[in-house]
Amino acid sequence: MPEKIKFGNIEIDINNNPLKNFTKYIGFFIVGLLMITSIYTVDANENAVVLRLGKYHATTGPGLQFKLPLIDSIYKVKVDYQYKEEFGFRTVRPGVKSAFSTRGYEEEAWMLTGDLKIADVRWVVQYKIKDARDYLFNVKNIDETIKDVSESSMRLMIGDRSFIEVIQTERIAIADQAKSYMQEILDRYETGVAVQLVQLQGVVPPEPVADSFNEVNRAKQDQETLINEAKQGYNKQIYRIEGEAQKIITEAEGYAIERVNNAKGDVALFESVLKEYLKAPQITKDRLYIETMEYVLSRNKNKIIVDKDIENLVPFLDQNKMRNK
Amino acid sequence: MSNTIKILLLFILIVISNSVFIINEKEQAIITQFGKPIGGSLIQAGLKFKLPLVHTVIKFDNRYLEWDGAVNEIPTKDNKYILVDTFARWKISDPLEFYKSAKNELLAQSRLDDIIDGAVRDEIANRVMGEIVRSTDRQMVTYDSESGESGHRDEELVDRGARLEIIGSILKKVQEKLEELNMGIEVADVQIKRVTYNKQVQTKLFNRMISEQNMIAEKYRAQGQGSKQEILGKQIQKEKEIMSDAYLNSQNIKGKADAEATEIYANTYSKSPDFYNYLRTLETYKNTLDSTTLFILSTDNKYLKFIEQ
Repeated sequence: MPEKIKFGNIEIDINNNPLKNFTKYIGFFIVGLLMITSIYTVDANENAVVLRLGKYHATTGPGLQFKLPLIDSIYKVKVDYQYKEEFGFRTVRPGVKSAFSTRGYEEEAWMLTGDLKIADVRWVVQYKIKDARDYLFNVKNIDETIKDVSESSMRLMIGDRSFIEVIQTERIAIADQAKSYMQEILDRYETGVAVQLVQLQGVVPPEPVADSFNEVNRAKQDQETLINEAKQGYNKQIYRIEGEAQKIITEAEGYAIERVNNAKGDVALFESVLKEYLKAPQITKDRLYIETMEYVLSRNKNKIIVDKDIENLVPFLDQNKMRNK
Repeated sequence: MSNTIKILLLFILIVISNSVFIINEKEQAIITQFGKPIGGSLIQAGLKFKLPLVHTVIKFDNRYLEWDGAVNEIPTKDNKYILVDTFARWKISDPLEFYKSAKNELLAQSRLDDIIDGAVRDEIANRVMGEIVRSTDRQMVTYDSESGESGHRDEELVDRGARLEIIGSILKKVQEKLEELNMGIEVADVQIKRVTYNKQVQTKLFNRMISEQNMIAEKYRAQGQGSKQEILGKQIQKEKEIMSDAYLNSQNIKGKADAEATEIYANTYSKSPDFYNYLRTLETYKNTLDSTTLFILSTDNKYLKFIEQ
């Protein structure tokens, strides 16, 4: 190759051509670029999927990794991240005291129960990516898929239970079964997603009927109040009556003691008088007689003494005086 | 390097770049020659070759795709109008057939609308409400264990749900139809997302739930009143029992005391009945002959015998 090229009267010296250095720089630049694009980093909670010429080549873990420039393409996926979806409500402002919004999510939350009533169900689904390759390449719009599957699974479980069961007893079973049904469907689509948790946040009567349910609770409390009041009255009255009964018994016992003691006393008196009497019967008798007469007559104002020979006594009596008495 | 070689190299580069293409894991493709498909479907990912300029590559999605149907109002077998919202996941299983019959995803979606909605309508219309909502034959407890109040009117309840059967049979119908049509589409799954009453029925249902709850509330209150009366009755019963018991006991106590006293009197007075008689009679004089008694005493009275003298 000639060192000098002649175009008419213009002469170019190839060795001194500035373009020659320029190509050298471009060469360096390209080599540097290739080196830089052959290195990539994967974060701690990530996996990277390597496609070589569009075909799956490998899944690499966290750290500094190498790839073939231009030929390999990299897709990073957060495999250790806990994803969360809310249904029937949305967290408006997360924090220590989170704010939730339930208004406007009735379509999501209201569902038919097995006995054809409507329950308001709010729940949370947490999931992880268990297989980065499946997650990336098997399903389009995977978020929407998870939402759809979660809703249909929850409704399936709620639909098979009565309203009362949904609200009271079956909550754990519902969450468990919804979780396994969700997983089954997601596996059918090979989503590479593992459902970690399905948790019911609130299962309540829908807002339009909520007050009637509160009314039932109030009625329950009224019932208890009535019963408690009655029981209280019962106890109060029975305690009083028991006291009264005790009083009657005690009085009777008092009477008994009195009666027996009186008898004993009367008898003792009689015995002592009898003792005197037996010593001197006639004298005692006379004495007792006289004492009695003294007592009786001393208290009495109407005494008429008549001779034993008087007969027809009545005419002598002052009838008027008698009547006035 | 001669200019001819340079131009040749450039030409080769263009030819190569136009005859090599990549299908990644999300994609599949077919090759057309002036709009006419040639060769088979390219489903596997990787580096592929074609004739430059003459051949065109048409790529399709190789993933499961969304199908979210419109909400349909469908009457059930027991004449309830319900809103049914379904979704499905489908994929292009044969790009060549797909290209021939559906051309693109949008057109395919509308074909799926017809096929799936039809199958859903057929299945729902053939079932009663309870079967659509329920999925197994498990026994439901439909009353409140505390109040014992039976909930819903029983004729609407079914023993056996058919939700899963319905889903299975919709899927089967859809799959059969697609096979028949040979559209290169495969439906993996059809699910019923939501089944709801329409607004008017829902309002009626809410009213019914409210009246039912009010009934339960009334029942609680009535039970409360009943319990109160019952307790009051028990109270009166208990009162009478206690008082009569006390009366019985007190009478027994008194009776015993009377008997004892009587025995004491009898034992002693029988030692000298005459003297007791005499003494007791004198005693009664003191009590019976009071200040108002008129005494007419004859002088031959024993008490006055000394007046005579």
